[in-house]
Amino acid sequence: MFDVLQKAVDVGRNLGATYVELRGEDGFIEYIQMDDGRINALTQRIERGVAVRVLADGAWGFVTTSELDVLDKAVRDAYSMAKAAAPTRHEPIKIAETKPYKDTADIKMKRDPRSVPVAEKIRYMEQMTKVIRDYDSRITAVTVKVRTASGLKYVVTSEGTQIRSRQLLVWAYPWVTAKEGARLSAARFEEASTHQGWEYMEKVATPEFVGQQAARKAKLQLEGVPAKAGSFPCVLGPRVIGVLAHEALGHLSEADLTANSAFAGKLGQVVAAEGVYMTDDGTIPGEIGSAKYDDEGTPTSRVEIIRNSVLTELLTNREYAAKNGLRPTGNARAESYLFPPIIRMRNTYFERGDATEDEMLEGIDFGYYCADFRAGQAQTNASFQVGIQEAYEVVNGKIGRPITDLSISGIATDSLFKIELISRKEFPFENGRCGKGQEALVGSGGPDIRFSKGGITFGGKT
Amino acid sequence: MKTERELMDLCQYAVSVGQKRGANAIEVQCDSRIDLDAGIELGEVNSVSRSVGTEFAVRLYLGKRMGSAFTNIPTREALDEGVSMALSAAKATTEDKDWQRLPEPRTYKEIPGLWEEAVIKCEPDKVVRLTADMVKKAAAAEEGLIAAYGGSGTSIHVMAYANSSGTAVAQKLTSAYLFLAGVAPTGASMTPLVQSYDVKRGLQLDMDRVVDEVASNIRLCKKKVKANSGKFSVILHPQAYSELLQYTLLMSVRGDNVARGKSKIADKIGDTIASPILTITDDGTTPKGMHTSVADDEGVPRQRTPIIEKGVLRSFLWDTYWGNKMGVKSTGNAKRNMRQGLLEIATSNLVVGLGKRDIAEIISGVKQGYLVRNLQGAHSSNPESGDFSIVGNPAFLIENGELKGAVDGLMLAGNIYELLKNAVETAKTPHYLEGTIGPEVVFKDVQVVVKE
Repeated sequence: MFDVLQKAVDVGRNLGATYVELRGEDGFIEYIQMDDGRINALTQRIERGVAVRVLADGAWGFVTTSELDVLDKAVRDAYSMAKAAAPTRHEPIKIAETKPYKDTADIKMKRDPRSVPVAEKIRYMEQMTKVIRDYDSRITAVTVKVRTASGLKYVVTSEGTQIRSRQLLVWAYPWVTAKEGARLSAARFEEASTHQGWEYMEKVATPEFVGQQAARKAKLQLEGVPAKAGSFPCVLGPRVIGVLAHEALGHLSEADLTANSAFAGKLGQVVAAEGVYMTDDGTIPGEIGSAKYDDEGTPTSRVEIIRNSVLTELLTNREYAAKNGLRPTGNARAESYLFPPIIRMRNTYFERGDATEDEMLEGIDFGYYCADFRAGQAQTNASFQVGIQEAYEVVNGKIGRPITDLSISGIATDSLFKIELISRKEFPFENGRCGKGQEALVGSGGPDIRFSKGGITFGGKT
Repeated sequence: MKTERELMDLCQYAVSVGQKRGANAIEVQCDSRIDLDAGIELGEVNSVSRSVGTEFAVRLYLGKRMGSAFTNIPTREALDEGVSMALSAAKATTEDKDWQRLPEPRTYKEIPGLWEEAVIKCEPDKVVRLTADMVKKAAAAEEGLIAAYGGSGTSIHVMAYANSSGTAVAQKLTSAYLFLAGVAPTGASMTPLVQSYDVKRGLQLDMDRVVDEVASNIRLCKKKVKANSGKFSVILHPQAYSELLQYTLLMSVRGDNVARGKSKIADKIGDTIASPILTITDDGTTPKGMHTSVADDEGVPRQRTPIIEKGVLRSFLWDTYWGNKMGVKSTGNAKRNMRQGLLEIATSNLVVGLGKRDIAEIISGVKQGYLVRNLQGAHSSNPESGDFSIVGNPAFLIENGELKGAVDGLMLAGNIYELLKNAVETAKTPHYLEGTIGPEVVFKDVQVVVKE
């Protein structure tokens, strides 16, 4: 593959392009969906394709193709499209300098998902369906989805980069419906790894663990009480504070979004309460957003976004690093060869504080503990919304009754100043997916964090 | 790009291969596309991209065991391999006792205006010019307005479907779009991203309307106002309610969810579930709809299906599998995820009935309420219960008939079935959106929660 891509890169260089980048993929991808025990989709595919990106006269041209024998034409097309866009630009696009790498980034796995028999995957899904059904007789419908991928990705550039990386995914996702009388509830859970093979599903994301998590949440919602509307003191648990780090702050720190957001011009300024640290780190071994290189061939890194309340760094790719005079952080990611790389988070989290477990709820007469989310969304004015699928009342400093569906919201730039306590307890990362026009697998997390009244608004019904 | 005939030949070839190798039923769908886009970042044309691809999805049965496959290589050899992979998958899976048959041959109605030659001839320099013009106009339309994202582009789409029951249908579609997402600084912060777009089958795109919508909303967003929590009249722009409906009501009218006990309104056909002023139809045949086509993704003709008529629930939406299982006919609402091989039930164009008054006249009569143009978090609603808790953004305060300014952090909480009963008026002019054709809708007594 390197030879084919290198020849095409040479075509672009000979045309006079400033920069030519070809990203080739060759791999196995699988999707299985089981609805109430019935296989609704079972597709295995071998997919091969190349993304061609050319910078010429200060503009980008991008072409994607699955036809490897006409790559020279794809490069010429991308070059001519960049040339078409260039005359309209006031400021030519430049990219930050990086060291070219020639490297192979492999993953040691025990069971390549490509080699695991379909029958075994179906048994895994049947077992998860049974675990969920057995959890509570009021559970009426179960959908289980499994995705796997195993292949190779190649990045070749006109600057001499030649990187081959192993691509791997094992992913499980149940959606559970429960019913009692006219009352319906629903919950989801997901677990995934990009660093372990099918052994992850046997040891970590087992049918029992994943199934019970989803079933328990659907049951709690069926038994929950409606949340109140308004602002209350609250503690957001690791899964919810993680999505807040991702949605409310992480996106504002993506340099392509920062300029259009409430973080514009705030580098070096205090943006949060004292003692708040937030980081995006693509180098944590084994976490879902970690990789050795990004999709421009830049090594990934640890980015200290907020350091003791000050906005310190932004996530960049080479284009936005050059535009803002920042370092390339290795956050350029593309879902597949069908997309150009854009700035994405990797593993985003609030760092641990010093509060003890007892202190976290102490003194709250009435408030909420939010344990898990369904989905979230952010806006450029720092407005965030997180749909909550598992939460509890906090009454006189103790966890109380479960809550039915609600969402929390706020303006992140205000909410960060309402942080009162940050737990010292260790936390696991939540493995999820982010949509920014294309999908990226991301980790999110943080310790329990307590907000005073006025920090978080609860969209309850009473 | 291959022609409809060439794609159909490949689909029928794969069907015959599957039959020869023992499949008792097989269907093959092909999607061939050329997309051309010019994109904006930070107020400039940033890139031009072209995506060319031809995809085949194979779905077959061995007895009642299903297997599927995908390939993006448009050759007979690749389809041979695809059929082999689908057969292997079917051998590995379990029997689906409810599966009956693939769709039978039907006659198709011609729908005019789905294909425009001008789109085929559109070159990169044309979409670049369009995009650059839009950026320029946006900057001039409102002080501080930055065209943060957006662009323009064209799409040429040729599809073919064939199955072993003799169904064969091919169609071709074109489209073109302009999309503008703008922001503006507001002192220490930024406005929310305000979006507008125009999408049509041809190149007659209304740039002035797109720019004016973004500019006028940005103007309002610059004026921040305080608001109160409580129950108020809320006017939802179709961009907002279409998203909310997708994750609540429309999940419950999907036939698969009805059959699986996942719909709260499964036993409500003929009952009043919404205000009598509301009529909501799924129409896959309306020429102005961007999801209009001759047939759905399993070759069943598109049709017009009333979902709610004057508040009364009239029909659910079906594909062939769930229709057969429940003893009803497909309503032509099958949608295939080509790469995953997943067939699901999905709306085509959601059409909401029109009222008698202009939106400006409606707003002028509101003493205190809100106009919500877009939502955050509709996808976190509970599709089974219909409960939602979402943020309106941008959301504008209406006082004494006037739009006063934008409210940060305005939450709307409730249940979709209560909300539908509280609809009191629809405006008289429809907005033509991707997948929705409808006017603004006014709801009374909506629970509003504002940030303290």
